[in-house]
Amino acid sequence: MEILSALGHGFAVALQPVNLMACFFGVFIGTLVGVLPGIGPVSAMALLLPVTLSGSPEAGIIMMAGIYYGSMYGGSTTSILVNIPGEAASVVTCLDGHQMAKNGRAGPALGIAAIGSFAAGTFAIIALMLVAPMLARFAIAFGPPEYFSLMVLGLTVLAFLTHGSMAKALLMACVGVTLGLVGIDQITAAPRLTFDRLELLDGVGLIPVVMGLFGVAEILANIERSIRREVVSSRIGSLWPTAQDWAYSKWAILRGTVLGFFLGVLPGGGAVISSFASYALERKLSKRPEMFGKGAIEGVAGPEAANNSAAGGAFIPLLTLGIPPNVVMALLLGAFIIHGIQPGPLLITQNPGIFWGIVASMYIGNIMLLILNFPLIGMWVQVLKVPYKLLFPLILMFCVVGVFSSGSAVFDVFVMTVFGLLGYLMRKFGYEPAPLVLAFVLGPMVENNLRKSLILSQGDFSIFIERPISLACLLMAAAMLIVPLLPALRAKREAVALDQE
Amino acid sequence: MWGGLVWLVLGIFVAFQGYELGLGQTREPGSGFAIFWLGLLTAAFAASIVFSAIKNGSEDIASLWRETRWGKVMLIIALLLVFGYLFDTIGFVICSLALLLVLMRFVDPVAWPTALLVSFGATFGIWYVMNKLLLIQLPNGWLSPWLG
Repeated sequence: MEILSALGHGFAVALQPVNLMACFFGVFIGTLVGVLPGIGPVSAMALLLPVTLSGSPEAGIIMMAGIYYGSMYGGSTTSILVNIPGEAASVVTCLDGHQMAKNGRAGPALGIAAIGSFAAGTFAIIALMLVAPMLARFAIAFGPPEYFSLMVLGLTVLAFLTHGSMAKALLMACVGVTLGLVGIDQITAAPRLTFDRLELLDGVGLIPVVMGLFGVAEILANIERSIRREVVSSRIGSLWPTAQDWAYSKWAILRGTVLGFFLGVLPGGGAVISSFASYALERKLSKRPEMFGKGAIEGVAGPEAANNSAAGGAFIPLLTLGIPPNVVMALLLGAFIIHGIQPGPLLITQNPGIFWGIVASMYIGNIMLLILNFPLIGMWVQVLKVPYKLLFPLILMFCVVGVFSSGSAVFDVFVMTVFGLLGYLMRKFGYEPAPLVLAFVLGPMVENNLRKSLILSQGDFSIFIERPISLACLLMAAAMLIVPLLPALRAKREAVALDQE
Repeated sequence: MWGGLVWLVLGIFVAFQGYELGLGQTREPGSGFAIFWLGLLTAAFAASIVFSAIKNGSEDIASLWRETRWGKVMLIIALLLVFGYLFDTIGFVICSLALLLVLMRFVDPVAWPTALLVSFGATFGIWYVMNKLLLIQLPNGWLSPWLG
């Protein structure tokens, strides 16, 4: 009853015209960046972060959230019709989705992707609504050691799940934390790693780093090779799946939804991992595994449900603990902080309008997305026909303008360029940018909680193992660090990484 | 291996910076405490990457850029640096027009009419939305007398 009344309050916030507009704008932009290869939700959110300053916190955060879950919908369209993932979480949809399109079944593939996304998105919102208040009450008991250990676990999980070398992922996390510490020390007020540059006293900006590593680096990687895109658009036909398609898809959607939600909540997990895990699960459980890769509809339904469910689940650690589980949530944390709001256990009690407003807007946004992606699919197909040689200069221009407007400083454009080059070189040498960015955001929090813990314990490190939650987190992190050293388990992890590639 | 070596040097440098800042004591960690240990960790991971590359062999650097259009990548980086250098003085409109035209004519060429249309449309569109609708000031530079 209490939840229903709070949800009612949330709908009163979300249905205000300005918030409704923000929600529509967010899901529209989200679908657009999902559809367009070469720009993902991370770049789009970083780009629009300064725009949120001109409105209320509710409108800004509703819009940013809309971009994220909207991009999960849009990504499947490009995967199915062009065989290029619109964003990372839709990579696996290419495998069977595009095969279905080539077999003249693009319509049912797009249809099941939209329906699965809607069902999973709705489930995730209901679960978020029920789980978040409970977890927030539990998290009030968390102190600095618990926060420190939880963040260490989050970074370790991300490094573990990142494909390729774990040493490289952990190295990226160390570099990210170090970058996050640039600027004035919060405790002693001493400048650190600023090299006498006034611009660095406030630290390195999140937006230039993210735009460089994800926006500019992506463009450089795409420009290096000329991309040819062939859009399958002549045979889309009816979007509604057949009875046989439903029979294959219904359990895949259900399994993908549940799996995606739990992987989304996990620090370091997220939409990308969940879509791959769902695909692997469906292939394993299928009565016709030989059809996977040749146009199995359950290979589209499961992963699409999983990535949307994960997108919803990822809000839980951010809203209840104040810890972003992935890069996108790190940007959303930035949006909260810009508006002077600290997400965490007290958010629901101190800012109920924002929490419940976001939850209610997600219900509304999901319905908007269903309309945008079902009857209006033709519009997105037209967008896909815009050649990349026209798109990339515009994306680059948006990056420059977005970065400059975030701090009104040309210095940030240089920072973005340097990180763009760094991101490009990192891709070349097999280093993933995601652990770096997440660690960059968590860095100051990790250090702050480490120092507070040591001050509390008079320099005794056993504080981290005397507290059960902290101990559990550190043990899990240690297990993940040890696993790659065991030959049998290393082979398994590398197989998963290979699948992802 | 070369990537690992770069990070190794960087890790040692960061550790040294942390040491210079002051480590403090464990009961009251100094400003450089976390930085010092992060530098050492970075160096340790980098050393393991270098060691692994020596043991298993690593890819030839030149092969990473073989059959790629790396010149265009360098051109974009150079353009962004020049853009940043001139942005405040010359202003958003002229810099953006020039950047878009160069990108659309020399990096991945499109026809002149399309390049002109998109460049002018995007530049003035962005300028109007930022300056007039969102009230985010972009530098007008040389065009200040006309753009206000």
